[in-house]
Amino acid sequence: MQPLQQYIILFGMLVATAGLAWMIYLIKRSLGETVDEPGKDMPAQSGHPSPEPAWNRYHVHYYGFALLFLAFDMEMAYMYPWAVVYKELGLVALLDMGFFLGILFLGLIYTWTQSGLKRQ
Amino acid sequence: MSTALTWTAIIILFAAGVYFVALMERWSFSGRLDWAGPLHAFLRAFGQEEIRTRRYDTVFYEATPIIFIAVVLLAVAILPFAQGTILLDLGTAALFINAALVYIMVSLIMAGWSANGAYGMIGGWRAMAQLIAYSMAVVMAITAAVMRAESMGMLEVVRSQAPLWNIIYQPVGFLLFYFAVMAMAFLPPFDLPVAEGELAGGAWAEFTGARKILFRLGRLLLVLTLALAVTVFFLGGWLGPWLPDFVWTFIKTALVAASFFWVGRWLPRIRHDHLLEWGWKYAVPAALFNIVQVGIQLLL
Repeated sequence: MQPLQQYIILFGMLVATAGLAWMIYLIKRSLGETVDEPGKDMPAQSGHPSPEPAWNRYHVHYYGFALLFLAFDMEMAYMYPWAVVYKELGLVALLDMGFFLGILFLGLIYTWTQSGLKRQ
Repeated sequence: MSTALTWTAIIILFAAGVYFVALMERWSFSGRLDWAGPLHAFLRAFGQEEIRTRRYDTVFYEATPIIFIAVVLLAVAILPFAQGTILLDLGTAALFINAALVYIMVSLIMAGWSANGAYGMIGGWRAMAQLIAYSMAVVMAITAAVMRAESMGMLEVVRSQAPLWNIIYQPVGFLLFYFAVMAMAFLPPFDLPVAEGELAGGAWAEFTGARKILFRLGRLLLVLTLALAVTVFFLGGWLGPWLPDFVWTFIKTALVAASFFWVGRWLPRIRHDHLLEWGWKYAVPAALFNIVQVGIQLLL
């Protein structure tokens, strides 16, 4: 099968999924309207009223992990082509990637020693 | 058996698999098998009123249920059910499944953001923390499987396991992938984004009616898809004696899916900072060790 054909099929699946969703929405709509009542549109907060909007600054406690994640995720992009040709290249491939991974792993250890691997 | 007949059997079995996952999910909460429960819940959701929160984000609110279910279906499309029975034999399948399933997190953040509720928003940010924790284990375990197969195609990955299944060849990778996949599907020990007990539904708290149906359906499909992925990458896919190929795939998938819920039933919910710490202090070094181990085994 041609690569282009494959991606057309994938795109078709996306369209079909949207169609399925639309169908469910139509069935749902045909079964009745929502009654408009005061206070019904409040977000759930265990019975408490929620006056302020939720879209404000939020302290993500894991930004250290997030930075580390970026470094490792970039590296994974190189790992996949390497993994495919690994057996062909043999020992050279193991040493090359071992060196690369070793440096990255040192970065992880360094972050750990600087107590970056905990809730900030 | 002809191709059309095989596909029909696979579609029926897949639908049965979704029902089975729904049944097991109910069992994991209540401890008993409620045979008609999934059907009742499905029909009941059609009768539910559709309530939207005030000042919600329209684009995110409408897009997120469709994204959630669409990416799961894209992931199903590239996983093989049997020798020649695969919807798309993509050359980059191992990378594609990662790329597709990352959107689970995107959808959860969008869901949490869109409703403009505090609980939902916390659920969304937790979903991102969870991705940072589990992602490396998934990606590196798949890399090790790709190394053995010398190809990113799923058919090659399964064929490479004919002498010995990957669960025995690389047990560390299997364990990492198994638990990381549970975190990806936010199943009970890792159900941080939608934690019923503490966030009252979290990212999905404000979704009712038709959108809730899409989320629930997408979640069931997600669990089944990930069980299928575990089967393909580590349990030898369709390989097995006597029975037809695709029957083996479904037996293994059903057992893996059931084991997800069985494991989750006995474990307490983990804190998101603990999950991150364990993910980076133990899972990432273990995953690197797994890659080195497979590398040495392949050269011997």
